[in-house]
Amino acid sequence: MSVVEVRQAAKTYLMGQIKVTALKGVDLTVEGGEFMALAGPSGSGKTTLLNLIGGFEKPTSGSVRVKGTDLAATSADALASLRARQMGFVFQNFNLLPVLTALENVEYPLLLSDKFSASRHRDLARQALERVGLSGHLLHRPMEMSGGQRQRVAIARAIVVEPDIILADEPTANLDHTTGEEILRLMKDINRVSKTTFIFSTHDQKIMDMADRVVRLLDGAFVEGA
Amino acid sequence: MMTLTIAIRNIFRHRTRTLITLFTIAFGCVAIIFVHGFFEDALREMRDSYIKAITGHLQVCKRGAFDKGFARPLDYIIDAPKDIISLIEKTPGVRVTSSRLVFSGLMSTGENSVSFLGQGVEPQKEQSVICRSSEDFIKLMRDRSFDKPDVGGVTIESGDSLEAKDTYSAILGKGLAKNLDIKPGDSIVLLTNTVGGSINAVDAKAKGIFYTGAKAFDDIALRVPLSTAQTLLRTEGVNNIVVRLFKTEDTQRVKELLEKAFKVHSWDLEIRTWDEMSDFYTKTKMLFYQQLFILEFVMTVVVLLSIFSTMNMAVLERTSEIGTIMALGTKRRGVIKLFMYEGLVLGIIGGLLGMGAGWVVIKMVSTIGIPMPPAPGMTFNWISQPDAPAKTYVLVFFLSVVAGLVSSIFPAYKASRLEIATALRGNA
Repeated sequence: MSVVEVRQAAKTYLMGQIKVTALKGVDLTVEGGEFMALAGPSGSGKTTLLNLIGGFEKPTSGSVRVKGTDLAATSADALASLRARQMGFVFQNFNLLPVLTALENVEYPLLLSDKFSASRHRDLARQALERVGLSGHLLHRPMEMSGGQRQRVAIARAIVVEPDIILADEPTANLDHTTGEEILRLMKDINRVSKTTFIFSTHDQKIMDMADRVVRLLDGAFVEGA
Repeated sequence: MMTLTIAIRNIFRHRTRTLITLFTIAFGCVAIIFVHGFFEDALREMRDSYIKAITGHLQVCKRGAFDKGFARPLDYIIDAPKDIISLIEKTPGVRVTSSRLVFSGLMSTGENSVSFLGQGVEPQKEQSVICRSSEDFIKLMRDRSFDKPDVGGVTIESGDSLEAKDTYSAILGKGLAKNLDIKPGDSIVLLTNTVGGSINAVDAKAKGIFYTGAKAFDDIALRVPLSTAQTLLRTEGVNNIVVRLFKTEDTQRVKELLEKAFKVHSWDLEIRTWDEMSDFYTKTKMLFYQQLFILEFVMTVVVLLSIFSTMNMAVLERTSEIGTIMALGTKRRGVIKLFMYEGLVLGIIGGLLGMGAGWVVIKMVSTIGIPMPPAPGMTFNWISQPDAPAKTYVLVFFLSVVAGLVSSIFPAYKASRLEIATALRGNA
């Protein structure tokens, strides 16, 4: 069953007086449980496509559906609820909240989702951190952890609500190659065990090689794999 | 709970900036508390001076005397005051009463004459305070009680005060004495109409010069023993019974009790409270409170702008974090809540610090005392001992919290309207 359906999605930005086209009417279907890479050079439209799928912004034309919901026709609050319940996010810069500990960072999405009772939140966050190998860093703040550890916390934060889909924008770009591979292996392992759909962007060939499917973008259009 | 945790921790991320903001809030609170305490003290000083020297807490007169009696005081004589005084003195809360015979006339030194407002008083019940040294003055200023068993309260600047055995003696208000260049020991002639309508005059000796808190009173007033006034006016009655209470706060309650009692006895009497008779005090109080309101307004705006600046800076610095929490599923109202909490927490902490610091400052200044020049309408220097009431502390805390909330509304709204994708890139 497809979890993501992108139909003729185009995105144009207005930079001052100039129109810049980031996506040129792309079509994409992602099936449940896929481990898919969006590849392409900088400016090819990878992040824009992930932003559309995540509901961070709406397409200028065309449609994006996640689990059957048309994101363009959904209110901001309903989109927030959809993200809290059904999506996880991993960012290039980790984007952890610096004032919270690792455990609190992972617990945060649970507070936004009504999937689990409040009494289980702490335990679920702890389990997620154990799963990414950070059981010894529960009370560390992001500034006290390495880049790889921070990205593991971010992955724990993404998986803790047991989402249907995890979007990762260049998750290894700020990590050294070995750490990047470890992170990808971790994501792959979660995908294999939990059947969670992963869509991640990268321009690292070795990382691409670990994906089930690679969709290549160039200048806002698919050139391979869609 | 997590939102509040994040809000509190965010506040202390930039300690220097937060400390400056908290200091600004606390400083605003201290300024309001101090000025409020200072004004309250000045007003209390003024009020007590009026009560002690001029009005007492209550005055009882024949009906109509308060409105028409100034021009014709002799039309409102209470011929048999004994039973009335006895009833008043038995009323709970009443400390003492003193009968007065108020009249007006001309005072002459032989060469010059001026009009005066005379008060025939019972010297034993209206003990004057002699104050000729700085020690006497400080003692007088520190005495805020109504514990002494007298009504009195004029302060003798030179000469002596009236005594029970005195007959043809008078003490003169500072301004009145200055007008005719009268010194203690000088002879004066008091000329007035009697109750019967004829003219009468007595020779008297200026025994002392007094002052009160009210310049207007000191410029026209003199006091003679009640018996002298009665002889001069050819009456055995009085036209004014001054009532001193144990506590100023009981004024209204005692007034109501007396009014009921007078009604039972069918006595056609009227009662005025000290504040009804102290028009100048009431107007000064309004003026002080208006000034205080302006100060409160200015300080609240300063605090508001300070918190606004901090919150606005926070939104700019944390754009990426705002994008992250919205990406994770935080709704716009959740973002507003987060920043409103931060403003609220700043307001609460700043308000608490301000209340504490204000209390310490007030206590310190009050212990030392500030020598002050005469307040409006007063004739003597005084020592300010600021003492803000509890409601002032509540007010500054409330203002601080409201300022915290109000100043964070716009930054919070601005944060909640950020586009997620743009915010994630760190652009506001």
